Amino acid sequence: MSSTTIAESAPAALAPPRRARRGSALLTLARRRAMLTSRTPRQIAVPLLGPAMLALILAPALKKATGGLHSQIDYTSYVGTGAVGLVIPLSCVFAGLSVLVDRHSGAQRELLAAPIPRGFLVLGNLIVALVLAALQALVVVGLSALRGGVFHITAAGVAWFLGAALLFTVFMYGLAETVASRVTKEEDYVGATPVLAILPFFFAGALFPIAAMPGVLADIAKVMPLTHALALLRYGFIDPSGRGLHDIWGMSNVTTEAWLSLGVVAVFAAALTAIAIRVFSHSVVH
Amino acid sequence: MIGTTTNGTAASATAPAAVEVEDLRKTYPGGIEAVKGIDFTVASGEVFGLLGPNGAGKSTTVGMLTTTVTPTGGRARLAGFDVARQPLLARGVSSVVFQDTVVDGSLSGRENLDLHARLWGVPAAPAKQRIGELVDAIGLSELIDRPVSSFSGGQRRRLEIARALVSRPRVLFLDEPTVGLDPRIRHELLDVIAGLRSREEMTIVMTTHYLDEAERLCDRVAIIHLGEIVALDSPRALLAGLGSEILEFRVSGDAPSALVALRAADIAGEDAFAVGARVTVPLHGRAASEALAAIDAEPIRISEIATRVPTLDDVYLNRTGAQLAGVN
Repeated sequence: MSSTTIAESAPAALAPPRRARRGSALLTLARRRAMLTSRTPRQIAVPLLGPAMLALILAPALKKATGGLHSQIDYTSYVGTGAVGLVIPLSCVFAGLSVLVDRHSGAQRELLAAPIPRGFLVLGNLIVALVLAALQALVVVGLSALRGGVFHITAAGVAWFLGAALLFTVFMYGLAETVASRVTKEEDYVGATPVLAILPFFFAGALFPIAAMPGVLADIAKVMPLTHALALLRYGFIDPSGRGLHDIWGMSNVTTEAWLSLGVVAVFAAALTAIAIRVFSHSVVH
Repeated sequence: MIGTTTNGTAASATAPAAVEVEDLRKTYPGGIEAVKGIDFTVASGEVFGLLGPNGAGKSTTVGMLTTTVTPTGGRARLAGFDVARQPLLARGVSSVVFQDTVVDGSLSGRENLDLHARLWGVPAAPAKQRIGELVDAIGLSELIDRPVSSFSGGQRRRLEIARALVSRPRVLFLDEPTVGLDPRIRHELLDVIAGLRSREEMTIVMTTHYLDEAERLCDRVAIIHLGEIVALDSPRALLAGLGSEILEFRVSGDAPSALVALRAADIAGEDAFAVGARVTVPLHGRAASEALAAIDAEPIRISEIATRVPTLDDVYLNRTGAQLAGVN
């Protein structure tokens, strides 16, 4: 080891402080997260398992056993789309666990010493969560199609589907990051997973329309962002008449209902992102 | 500033200070005063040590200077940038090597270095060249493309030092850089750190509780005790205050009372001190035999007599009555 070689390297002139451009900093953080995720394949595969089983096995079996929804909507694709409402939360919760790993391994401290806004650490991870969730959602839909699910794909429908999926992912990641910043132990975080990722699935119309639930539960479902997201996903890919949206809003114009639901998901997404950044920034500075 | 001499401020009167700390304070929730109003200035190019035991306030001080701890009061500036009001700019002129390992284990060494370069805004081509130079300099060329999880503790620490240098920081913070490493690796790392001294315009602030590190590397040392600086000067000046030789012995009975008696008999000066049953008397040129003969004449029973060269631990004991951890 040559300690003198370090001293002999040409010294820098007294230069202004270094800072990466904001876009470059965000991409660097996203790149780091992507590299770490790619070296942890279970983080990509595990969130897919349950939803894949829903799409491949449960949905066709329920359709056969019950006769489906007794409407023009194909039940296999109905549940297949509903499974997207499970894969996104699970994927985001797994991503939030990485935050805890970063903190406990010490890697987070190096990032906190960097000349970048601290909120960028949240946003950089969010970028990867978005890409991953989008890919996993398309896999689940693809599996549902393989099992005979019927989809009506249009350009506008794809836009509604992606808009809802991405905004819901932003919301879920904000929620996961907020919880990760608040808990100190990984066991506590894992213990919160059923509440964050699984419980809403049963109330939001993933397996059946919310109108089939008792009034008070249906009312609760109407204020959950997952309910709006699922209605939009189905509006985009399987139900151009927007029955799920109508169950929420009860209006005559489905396009208006769609924009309203997208607005709801967007508000939740923005709020949870802001909260996540604030909670994270406060948690890392003593 | 306690203990500051004419040597205790900027080494160069014309160069701007790299680190300026004014009445810096930190009180944690619950009223725990970790840092109680400290002042010091570090000149550009200086190696400055913060020496003290665990819990003295060293890491909290470094935390405030690196913006991971919010000061309760006072001000601090890195290369002129206020750490509280201009944290991004302050972080832009500094790098930190933390006490605990903070690398991404599943990434390679090169990927860790590249990540630092990108976050600190080092352009791609200069970063690649700089990384190549540093990898050769720290002796990790053969390992650099392997996952860091396969590195030994000493190799990780070398990687961290190289990483901190990628962005050519104006202020480099080393927080207990050799703690937990075996003696051989410690020695090698001290050589590396000593090599950094010659780099123009790089200031080093290091915390340590190892006396040999402070004496070997630092131009000036601030000794911290319970959140306050109790001494600040060059190691040589701090040690010179105790003279070239000290007499140390164990007293049967009450050591503080014995010390009072020794002072009254003009055998010990005001800088003599007692910790537990041990009394330490700086001789200041007096022969040990002469001092012992004078002690014999007093009604004080002593044992385990020794003479030795004073260390920074003696300076610390003299100022605080407590002992530094990790005395070598």
